[in-house]
Amino acid sequence: MAQQRALPQSKETLLQSYNKRLKDDVKSIMDNFTEIIKTAKIEDETQVSRATQGEQDNYEMHVRAANIVRAGESLMKLVSDLKQFLILNDFPSVNEAIDQRNQQLRALQEECDRKLIALRDEISIDLYELEEEYYSSRERDGEAGSPLRREPEAGLDPRTPGS
Amino acid sequence: MATYSLANERLRALEDIEREIGAILQNAGTVILELSKEKTNERLLDRQAAAFTASVQHVEAELSAQIRYLTQVATGQPHEGSSYSSRKDCQMALKRVDYTRLKLSDVARTCEQMLEN
Repeated sequence: MAQQRALPQSKETLLQSYNKRLKDDVKSIMDNFTEIIKTAKIEDETQVSRATQGEQDNYEMHVRAANIVRAGESLMKLVSDLKQFLILNDFPSVNEAIDQRNQQLRALQEECDRKLIALRDEISIDLYELEEEYYSSRERDGEAGSPLRREPEAGLDPRTPGS
Repeated sequence: MATYSLANERLRALEDIEREIGAILQNAGTVILELSKEKTNERLLDRQAAAFTASVQHVEAELSAQIRYLTQVATGQPHEGSSYSSRKDCQMALKRVDYTRLKLSDVARTCEQMLEN
């Protein structure tokens, strides 16, 4: 059995409260269900009239059924609290989740970089040919309206005073 | 998204328990409904009652096991791990891809204009 870690008081208390809630709710469901089954038995001899006894049994069954439903809802709330506690405090699975996410992201990053490098190698061949074509063409002189001519940006020309 | 198997297993188990709690209430209701009839189907009654009892015991055992596990693994400290750094690196790689796509489209547009001229 794993060595019991010294939990902070609040966490220890919280887990003990979860245990208590579980025991109480299960006991409530079983007891109320058993009592409903017992009450369903029709007695030959009653202290009050049959009609009164019937009304009393009817009311009791309603209350016990409501108790069973309340206990069921309390169990659902307990499960929800346990899920929350698990997500926040189950360190082994949180660590594993973080590791998996890191691996995923790293793999995606490596794939992007690998494809970019392959693209670079391909394009460098085409760019070489483009450059040869450009430097041996009349467009190199930068005719006005040519898409290859880069107009100096306004205010940044070093020859213009005040830029 | 890859499966976070360990975390998902326990969470899935808790979801199954939730469904079982619903089944418990349904079984209880069926038993009481059957009892209210003039002619009760005894076999159905026994079956539903047995299912009810088994479900309640199963839910109690499972939840106790989960609480026991949490008592063993919980440290009370907040978890300070994160995947921020790898997320940032991946984001930068995707930005590089976008930038490359932008520049390539510029080159393609320039070449097309040249061909038109």
